[in-house]
Amino acid sequence: MTGFRNRVVTQTGTVNPDYTPATRLVLGDAFAGGAEGRWLITFEGVTKRYPDGTVAVDDLDLEVPDGKTMVLVGPSGCGKTTTLRMINRLVEASEGRILLNGDDIRAQNPAKLRRGIGYVIQQTGLFPHRTIEDNIATVPVLNGWRRAKARARARELLTTVGLDPALAKRYPHQLSGGQQQRVGVARALAADPPVLLMDEPFSAVDPVVRGQLQEQLIALQTELRKTIVLVTHDIEEAIKVGDLVALYHPHGTLAQLATPERLLAAPADDYVAGFVGFDRGIRRLSFFRTDGLSLSAGPVLPETATVAAAVKTGEPWILVVASESDPTPSGWLPSDRLAGLDGAALLKDVAADPFGHTFTVGDDSLRAALDAAVLSPAGLAIGVDADGRVAGLATFDQLRSAVQAAQAAQDALDAQENQDALAAQPGSGPGAAP
Amino acid sequence: MMWSWIPSNWSEIWELTKQTAFLGIISPLIGLVISVPLGVVAARWRWINPPTLVVVNVVYAIPSLALFIALIPTFGLTDTTVVIGLTVYSLCVILPNVVGGLRGVPAPVKQAATAMGYGPLRRLITVELPLATPVILAGLRVGVVSSVSLASVGQIIGVSSLGYLFVDGEQRDFPTEIYVGLFLIIILAVACDLILVGVRRALTPWASGRDRAPGIRRRVVPGTPVTPVPALWR
Repeated sequence: MTGFRNRVVTQTGTVNPDYTPATRLVLGDAFAGGAEGRWLITFEGVTKRYPDGTVAVDDLDLEVPDGKTMVLVGPSGCGKTTTLRMINRLVEASEGRILLNGDDIRAQNPAKLRRGIGYVIQQTGLFPHRTIEDNIATVPVLNGWRRAKARARARELLTTVGLDPALAKRYPHQLSGGQQQRVGVARALAADPPVLLMDEPFSAVDPVVRGQLQEQLIALQTELRKTIVLVTHDIEEAIKVGDLVALYHPHGTLAQLATPERLLAAPADDYVAGFVGFDRGIRRLSFFRTDGLSLSAGPVLPETATVAAAVKTGEPWILVVASESDPTPSGWLPSDRLAGLDGAALLKDVAADPFGHTFTVGDDSLRAALDAAVLSPAGLAIGVDADGRVAGLATFDQLRSAVQAAQAAQDALDAQENQDALAAQPGSGPGAAP
Repeated sequence: MMWSWIPSNWSEIWELTKQTAFLGIISPLIGLVISVPLGVVAARWRWINPPTLVVVNVVYAIPSLALFIALIPTFGLTDTTVVIGLTVYSLCVILPNVVGGLRGVPAPVKQAATAMGYGPLRRLITVELPLATPVILAGLRVGVVSSVSLASVGQIIGVSSLGYLFVDGEQRDFPTEIYVGLFLIIILAVACDLILVGVRRALTPWASGRDRAPGIRRRVVPGTPVTPVPALWR
């Protein structure tokens, strides 16, 4: 068995359930050993030792499933970038083998190998002397495409990465940092390589742009299904964009390999827990959807209802909505504000408090629902449907039940998967090469 | 100033101007052709650079007349002697700029080029040299201007140029001739410089609208004379 599992076992002292079960949960059937059981990139006992004796990567076994995003995360100098650069041979491994689609990368001509691997770096590395379209067309032209065809492809890709094709004739320095980074991604995608390597691609831009670029990457990946290896020092980014997260110790070994959800739920040790950071319990709720959350019809009244009707509910807070037929929220009304008012007055004539933010039932996570409850003056989260109409209210009690149920379901699934994984050992577990 | 002297001697003045332009332009061009491969080598293997700089600076310090005289035994009192001498000076100003220009290509750009699948030679020709072009051309401009000036020194060893007007004017105590020579040399140097500015704009449209490419610095190699004062007489 060449998988990483042996190594993870020795590192943590326990059979680590993180890999297969959780990934299968998130990735679904497609993950049953990678799509069609394939691992696109395989590290087998790879070590990188520099002439001065520094060991950047120490005996690494790692498998990157086909069509998924693997994020390498860790502190500076942990070997994550070295790992990345060994894949396209910008750095040569000292020991071990790296297989791409089953073939040893050392058997291939480096330049040819690299043309089949997209590469995106923090400083963009765009060619200052070439227009945006020619930058993007780089690899197709190297592959012998006619320039006109390559440029047409480049303009197509500008749209793909969310840029205006009118930028095609500009030079890189005429674009903003975020735009340049998008061009970098377009250039990496130009020859439609199956593998994309991204070295801190979003670290040099401001947080707002970074968020946009991350969203763009997730959207692109949903469509393109590349095998992406992304290096970052930002655990939030890893959790946000990764299907799998490989967290490094400071000196070139893996601390944990898991799905983002598992990393938050069950850090392998104190080091991982520390790296993952505070409030991981809350953050993990991002991975649980709200479709299992039970809602109460709650004290909800239309603006056309009377004060008397509101008082009659006996509730401390009443959610006022636009109308019966269009129940979009308009505000929270505290019952003590109704005291002494004319019972025949309509609710729309009484000043209500802002309703804060809502969550979309089914689409949004339990984290969003919990946040909505915390920020609500009434302590109730307003669940809305896709059209923004109130579907129901969730109390803290209901949220707690939903969280417990989701965690229990997850844990049961993990236990089951873990048992399956143990049963499969030793033998051709998902970690074995096809 | 005797203005009537100019039209009556125009054809001779024109011949001398053309000869000066020839000496002053051909030499830095040869210097450029030699500097590029040398610069590529010096930029790649860093240890070569310090000794190269010492040699270049020492050679640059040799007075031009002494250099011409040193070349006479081999090449005689010919244009070749002057062209070789001026080429050596041009080399001294262009070579450090080739090295600096290549070194100034941002590391991420080079890394990205390699990662895209460029071989070393292709990367050099299609990425590094184009990016070094503004800096190399800055060196060429200095080389051309100083060569146009220095070409007149060749007159002393009998190679004709606008320097003839200085020597002749001095011997005949006729200042008009000296002023005309001086004026034409300056005009010639400025004209060549302007042409090279145009060449740079045409070759590097990407660099317009800003002083220089990001990360490309003109002075990368410490102690390199990138823009020495053009010496008319040294």
